[in-house]
Formats: sequence, structure tokens, C-alpha cells
Amino acid sequence: MGDVHEVPRRRIATAHLAQYIGQPVCFVGRVEKIHPTGKLFVLSDGEGKHTTVELSEPLDEEISGVLEVVGRVTNQATIMCMSYVQFREDKSPFDLELYNEALKIIHEFPEYFPFG
Amino acid sequence: AIMQGEAVSKPVLQVINTRAIATGNGPPRYRVLMSDGVNTLSSFMLATQLNSLVEEERLSAQCICQVNRFIVNSLKDGRRVVILMDLNVLKTADKVGGNIGNPVPYNEGQGQQRSLAPAANPPPSKPQQQNGNLSVAGPAAPKYHAPSNQFGKASAPSSVKTPGGSQAKVVPIASLNPYQSKWTICARVTQKGQIRKWSNSRGEGKLFSIELVDESGEIRATAFNDQADKFFPLIELNKVYYFTKGNLKTANKQYTAVKNDYEITFTNETSVVPCDDAQHLPSVQFEFVSISDLENTPKDSIVDVIGICKSYEDVTKITVKANNREVSKRNVHLMDTSGKLVTATLWGNEAEQFDGSRQPVIAIKGARVSDFGGRSLSVLSSSTVVINPDSPEAFKLRGWYEFDSEGQLLECASISDVRGGPASGTNTNWKTLFEAKSENLGQGDKADYFSCVGTVVHLRKENCMYQACPSQDCNKKVIDQQNGLYRCEKCDREFPNFKYRMMLLVTIADCLEYQWVTCFQEAAEFILGQNATLLGELKEKNEQAFEEVFQNANFNTYEFRIRVKLETYNDESRIKATAVDVKPVNYREYSKRLITSIRRNAQLG
Repeated sequence: MGDVHEVPRRRIATAHLAQYIGQPVCFVGRVEKIHPTGKLFVLSDGEGKHTTVELSEPLDEEISGVLEVVGRVTNQATIMCMSYVQFREDKSPFDLELYNEALKIIHEFPEYFPFG
Repeated sequence: AIMQGEAVSKPVLQVINTRAIATGNGPPRYRVLMSDGVNTLSSFMLATQLNSLVEEERLSAQCICQVNRFIVNSLKDGRRVVILMDLNVLKTADKVGGNIGNPVPYNEGQGQQRSLAPAANPPPSKPQQQNGNLSVAGPAAPKYHAPSNQFGKASAPSSVKTPGGSQAKVVPIASLNPYQSKWTICARVTQKGQIRKWSNSRGEGKLFSIELVDESGEIRATAFNDQADKFFPLIELNKVYYFTKGNLKTANKQYTAVKNDYEITFTNETSVVPCDDAQHLPSVQFEFVSISDLENTPKDSIVDVIGICKSYEDVTKITVKANNREVSKRNVHLMDTSGKLVTATLWGNEAEQFDGSRQPVIAIKGARVSDFGGRSLSVLSSSTVVINPDSPEAFKLRGWYEFDSEGQLLECASISDVRGGPASGTNTNWKTLFEAKSENLGQGDKADYFSCVGTVVHLRKENCMYQACPSQDCNKKVIDQQNGLYRCEKCDREFPNFKYRMMLLVTIADCLEYQWVTCFQEAAEFILGQNATLLGELKEKNEQAFEEVFQNANFNTYEFRIRVKLETYNDESRIKATAVDVKPVNYREYSKRLITSIRRNAQLG
């Protein structure tokens, strides 16, 4: 599923998961919990809703703070993570609520934010 | 007798008929045809507080009532109207049965005095015959005399019974002049200033001024020292009083906009008595100017504004250099439905006592427009500030602000710009370059400031710096004497060296427009990322490095604070823009602004 990176992917929040099952997406959220196996972790989005992210291989490093996850939405409305990027919060804090507001606008006005 | 202004206590009259008179946008007024058994007179008006009597049908045709309080008003055409302030219904209509006596309409045009007796006797006796309990009304029955010669003259003073018991003639304000010392006017206070103290070589004093209005006109009155102390707590804005005996002198038009050649000064003989009947007097009139129109209002004009106090600053004390005194001031920010924000400055007591919590509606009458920072308002001692006024505009504003969510989302463009210092967070005037151009900022004779987010798209390398005088604070261009010395005309000295100062012409652009902006030292150094001295060296020695600095500076986005002004140079006028400050973009604030803007536009569209 490396193709996820070749293809444009929508930015979504937890609320949109159901609509984009099977689609490649980009999700930004804050780390809430990491499963002891390291193959699963939970992120919360700007509204505080939780999303589960699965990995094909377990994590090899500690993750915390805000992450951007690129992957595909599974049938169970979780995200199968292909890659992730940690946001560096030491430089400046990332305003997740503001990001969420922007996401809402993007989804509300698809004519101005054309996808694909 | 009532019509002649004599003291009649508690007359008993019969209501023959009531008629409602529409008053436009107020409660209905009831005109009553009254009879004393001998005459009927229709010039009776019911005070609005008694309207319920008619509406509940306690006061209706043929009932008998005893008037406890009334006022006689003289209209401009000489007619008199009796205003019934308080009355008791002694007998309701159904118990009376019919009109008592055979009253004939009272004719105000007659000129004879008739004696009391024959007119008085029939009314008491008739009611006595018909319903015994009215006997107590006997001595109190009104006696109508034929009117005296004073009728018919529009400006004739009418006799009025003041509650205080002393007789006084009420004259219209328009007839006041310095040659008449005994007068009384009945007027509403439309404006009350604060107490102002002064001290000069002749001593100290205090005063406060009010503006009075009646049907004939308006006049300003000032009370000094003792009278100020006496009357300041008594006189309330928007209430009506009888003012008696003050000094009249020619008005000092410099201090006031009131249209009258004279003004009143209270003396220790002046008396101020509350007047209960106020309906015929015009009330405090506001003529609100919308905040966006203020931008076109000439400076120093006096206006009325109303707006929601969106935010307010803390009260600060500043020292007035003129008399070395401390004065409190507070800036409050008002916004109205035009979406524009203006800063109004309150002074003294009003600044200290101001409570802007819960975003009240504020109405200011007589604020002065100043061009401080674009446009702002200053509340004068002669202005009136009303918080949450009881007026339709206030309610409309409140409704718009609270319920129409546009009100709160509206990103207010401030027309009074606080200089872009650290405290300016809520007040900076954000515009896109397109808006700046289309709004013709800078066209007026004063500079306009605005902030924008823009990207550097071009920098002019040639002539971007000049040789300036090395002395501190002097940035004048020095002349190269070609002998190793440089002369500064301003300091009138020669120096062996100079400092490089930058004057960089940059083109910045945003999504719709571009603008040439001049950046001086600090702004240019920030954009180029180098200080001027180093750049000067690079220019002389290392062309390539010099170029590279400019390349790197290109296509960076910053927040610019821009000053635009129309400048004339050798007969040619051009709009010139200067970057006063350049900062990295605060993306958080920027995106919040954008989101608000999007939401607002979505609502409108």
C-alpha cells in the first residue's frame, strides 16, 4: 500500500472517518495512548474525538505530542498508518483547535478547495 | 379660574367625553372634554401615567372626577391646555347617569371678567341634588373666569402654578434676554456636563454646564462654585425643571454648539424646581452618525454616536503639561453595525467610573471627532455619555450584536488606529493590499496606517543605501567632499567616515494586489537579514555575496505595518507607502482572522 503516498489524500478529522472508508487520508492529532504492543495508538483530533491508528510493524521509537499520520481508512473506521511525522512543538505550539476550524472550512467549501 | 392660572385646589369636574389622540410612536394621549356644570372645555389632556384609567374604563364619559394635580400650559398660539396629572374618579360614569347641568363650551376669546358668585353656585348645587356625596366638592368647584387680555399673544407669559407655591411666569427660551431679569422657563435638560475645576491666578473655581431645551429653542446654562455644588446633584439629564432668575449674557460660541445668542449663568437667586409635566417638551435628541461615516467627518466636528463597547482598556492617569495636573483617561472601543470600530476616549470621572463589562451599548452625544490615528472620538466635558440608553437604536444594536451572530463574528476594522505598538493587539487595522488601494487609504491629508500580510516579490538593489551622517540620531545624507571627508549639513560638521543607512524599495504582494513600499533601516535589515554596515561592505567588495543576500530575501512572507500618505514632490503628488514595521507572520492569528473572515462572508452571501 505504498501507493498511498503517490495519490492525493484528503485531510480529515475523526468525524469524517466514516465517509472515507477505504480512502487514503491524512490525519493530524495528539497522541493519547499507545498500546503496549506498539502496533496501535490512539490520537485525539481538534475536537477531542479519538481515532485509532494501526501499524503494520510495531513502533520503534517513543511518540508524543501532535502527529500527522498518512494512511488508509479501514472498514472498522481506524487508520492503517503508512507513515507519520511528528510535529516539533518545542519551536511553537501547534493549535489543534484552530486546525480543526480550518478543516471544517475546507470540507464546507469544496469548490474552493478542490480535491484531486 | 384654572384657565387664568389661579390657585384652585382639587377641582371636581365631570368628564363629558374622552378622545384618544395618536402620537406616532408613543403611547396614545387622551384628550378630555370636561365640564364644571357651567362650561365645558376640551383643552384637557391626560398625563400618560393616567392612560390606564381610560383604558380600564374607569375614566369615561360622564364620570365625575376630582383633579388632584394639574398644570396649565400655554401653547405658542396662546391657547392653554390643562394637563391632568393626578385625579381620582369620584363616581364612575354608570353611577352618574348623564351630564350635570347644561354646560356650554367655554369660549377663550372673551375679554370680560365675570364675577364668581353666579357661576359658582349652580355647579355645587346641581351635583348635590343628583348625588349627595359631592357636597364636599362645593367650595372646591372650579370657577371659570373669562380670560384676560393676555390671550392671543403667542409669546405672552402664562401664569403657572408651580408646586412650590410661588407664582412665576413661564417664558419660552427664545424670548430670554439680558434685559429681563425675572423669568422662569420650563425646560428639559438635554445635556449635563461634568463638574470642572480650574485654578488660575485669580483663584480657584468649579463649574458645570447644562443645555436646556423647550419648544421654542435651546440655551446653555452654567452654574459656578456654590451654585455648582447646589445644583449638580439636583439636576438630572433628561428631566424637566422650572428654572427661575439667572443672569443672561452673550454666549461664548467657542464653548458651545448651542443655538442661542445668550447663555444663562445661575446666581444665588436662581431656583430650580422639578416640573412634572414634560410631555410637550422635546427630549434628548441623538442624531447618530454611523461609525463608518466618521471616517468622512471633518476633524473637530461634534457628533453623536452609538455602539457596542466591544472592548475597553484600563484607566490610565496622564499628566497634562499645561497645568501639571493628573487626569484619568480611558479608551473604549465602540463598534456598530457598519462593522467599524472606533476608539473613544473618556476623561476624568467618566473614565474612572466606566464599567464596560458585558459589552454595554454606549451612546455619546457631542463627542468631538479627532484625527488621532485616523479617526477617533474624544468625549468632552460638554458631551454626554449614556450607557445602555433606553432608545430604539440601542435595542437594535443589542439585538444585532447578540442574536445576529454576525455581530460577534464581525471582525471590526478599526478606523482609529492605535500605533502599532505592543498593546495594539485588538486594534490593528488589517487590510489586504487590494482593500488598501480600493479604499484610497492615504488620500486624505493625514497618513493612514494599516497592517497586511504580504510576500516580498522584488527588491531594488540599486540605490538601496546611502551614506549618512555618523552622529547618533542624525540620518541626513552626507556629501562626499572627495578629500576623505564627508560633510553633514544638518550637524554642520565634517566627518572622516559615514554610516550606511538603508532605504530599500520593496515590492510586496498578496493574493490580489502588489505595492511598492519603502523600507528604512530596521525594516530593510530585517528583510535582508543583514545589518547595513555589513551590506555596505559586501556591496563594495563582494558583488556576488551582495546579490545572494537579495536573492534569499525574495519570496518571503511577512506581516507589514504600512503607512501610506499622499506626498507632493515638485508639483507632483503621489501616494507613498512606507513599511514602518516588518514582522514574521503570526500564523495562528492570521488563520484565525481568515477563518473569521470566511465565516462572515459565508453568512452574508
